[in-house]
Amino acid sequence: MTGSLLLQSLILGVLLGGLYALLAAGLTLYFGVMRVVMIAHAAFLVLAAYLAWFANSRLGIDPLLTLVVTVPLFFGIGVLMQRLLIKRLRPATLTMMSVLLTFAIALFIEGLVGFVWGGTQRRIQLSYSSASIEIFGARIAVVKLIAFGLAALSLLALYLLMKHTRFGQALRATIQHPEAAQLVGIKTEGVAGLGFGLGLATAALGGTALSLDATIYPSLHWHWIGPLMAIIVVGGLGSIPGAAIAALVLGVGQSLLQVPLGTTWAQTIFYVALFVTLMVRPQGFFGGRLAQRF
Amino acid sequence: MPNASSTLAAPERAATAATPTDRSRRRKIATVVALIVAAVVVGIFPAAAPNAYILSAGVVILSYACTATSWNFMGGFTGYISLGHAAWFGLGAYGTGILVRDLGLPSFVAWALAGVVVAIITVPIGIAALRVRGASFVIVSIAFVLILLLVFQGWGSFTGGSNGLVVPRPFPDLMRPVHHQVFFYLFAALLAAMLVLWWAINRSRFGIGLKAIREDEDKAEALGIPTRNYKLVAYIISATFTGLAGGMYALWFGDLDPIFQFSILLGSYMVLMALLGGIRHLLGPLVGAIIVGIGLEVFKLQFGDTQFHLVATGLLLALVVLFMPDGIIPALQAGIKRFGPQSSSIREMTAGELAERNRAAGVSGASVFAGRKAEREGVENEDATTPTEEEKR
Repeated sequence: MTGSLLLQSLILGVLLGGLYALLAAGLTLYFGVMRVVMIAHAAFLVLAAYLAWFANSRLGIDPLLTLVVTVPLFFGIGVLMQRLLIKRLRPATLTMMSVLLTFAIALFIEGLVGFVWGGTQRRIQLSYSSASIEIFGARIAVVKLIAFGLAALSLLALYLLMKHTRFGQALRATIQHPEAAQLVGIKTEGVAGLGFGLGLATAALGGTALSLDATIYPSLHWHWIGPLMAIIVVGGLGSIPGAAIAALVLGVGQSLLQVPLGTTWAQTIFYVALFVTLMVRPQGFFGGRLAQRF
Repeated sequence: MPNASSTLAAPERAATAATPTDRSRRRKIATVVALIVAAVVVGIFPAAAPNAYILSAGVVILSYACTATSWNFMGGFTGYISLGHAAWFGLGAYGTGILVRDLGLPSFVAWALAGVVVAIITVPIGIAALRVRGASFVIVSIAFVLILLLVFQGWGSFTGGSNGLVVPRPFPDLMRPVHHQVFFYLFAALLAAMLVLWWAINRSRFGIGLKAIREDEDKAEALGIPTRNYKLVAYIISATFTGLAGGMYALWFGDLDPIFQFSILLGSYMVLMALLGGIRHLLGPLVGAIIVGIGLEVFKLQFGDTQFHLVATGLLLALVVLFMPDGIIPALQAGIKRFGPQSSSIREMTAGELAERNRAAGVSGASVFAGRKAEREGVENEDATTPTEEEKR
């Protein structure tokens, strides 16, 4: 492996890890506010990518502009989903049943996407699709940089929202201890709904970023949900920094392994990491109290 | 099978309606009649099927019933919901195929050996996966299917990769319809073996331990149940039977593709069928498999190869989870009970009536509460512990 190839894989890994981190942060939000493992997260990701592709190929709009519609739309869907579906489940079996429910939603979306747009592979063609820049001999596609920039900006916005606003404080309090949060006057039900919406909004952002340089097809979401689930378990369920670190480490790992092993085998790093985590530290490497029982 | 209401209500009803021996005899007769009817239906279905398509649909539905029932060894007893049981199905199928192809073993020897291989593989996987509970367990089970899908697609030289693996037919000189017929009976026999084992475990100490884990794992552990070993044994039984069903499918269908064998969809069908029928009931997965299996075949005929069956599966699963998480069988039982004689609660009697009834039964008021009356009348007292736990959910 030459130096420039190594550098290129490293950079690509970081770029990919950024997207993983954003999506894993969304998953962590759902889990934090509702103790829900949202299997449909990646299905919404693919849905957003399809919407971006549709807007670009049929309406001639730049995929990045679809964010103006998809982010509020997905936020709304998230809030409604929490209000109308998740809250109906019995608290005693919430975690298990919510997995099944969101799994059902994932199947539903996959079927719907395939039904409306067909099962063939789609790809966005942009004027700047083939443009790339060279850093020390490593060629990096511009669209990958844009996708990473979008993911990084969203993560930064999410961080600022969580740390420096009153809503963010309420959200973090709800995640840490719902009863105590209620005692100090936080309307945890409403906050949980908004947190769910926020999580789904990350799927809209991630999907648009994904659509820029990936070939999409309806069953693509299974290739995303596996690694994302592995990331949040390795990072420790409920820990956003843990998820971000695990995402970057595993994203770089995947990218580096792709060179000697090929794409198929490189993906197994997520599952290997998952099983190693379970054997060594079932609560995850960065997880706190939250992760113990789930 | 004993369920919550029948055993709990027994002491009260004994005085007012029939005696327990009467009831148990009636139940026994009903069971025998049901068994005979089931045997006759299975026996004449292949002959009565109008064409080979209906017969092959019957085989598919029976294979679904096998997978859903074997899933229920884990899901029903311990409450650990695995969305990744397709992994064991695929391992059993590929194991059988590869053993026949590479070692030239007779088909059914390879099939049994594949079951043993699956059981051995389950041990380390089970130890790892059962270290976590609830949602994490589901994640791990999904991850396991995805990893096997990658491996079986990537390792083309051994598994045939995306080109698929052709499994030699065990009876090469049989015509297609006769072939279906033979496998219909083979699947039925496998299903019967599973049902008998499920029934036996359900009545055993082991089964009670597993159900205690389902209701409250920490308390079960505190009571001295070796939770990890119990869960592991249940997991191995469940995985092995799923593998055997997969191997049987491989011998019947003859052509394997990683996309279909290691598909999350297959695992989700198992969960859907078991939940729809009722995971606490012996026949729940079978009932669910018949409903979902017929539904899937109808969908395939109506809509062809579109993605529409995914929408339907998703909708049905969501509806079951939201509105009928206990399944059809309990819902039906509750409906039937509404029309039958109402069991009277002790609070609905006046003190005088109660004293009279107790005098007639020859016990004092105090001993009723100590549970001695139940013992004297030969009501299975052991059973009374599980139903109350079952009711909690």
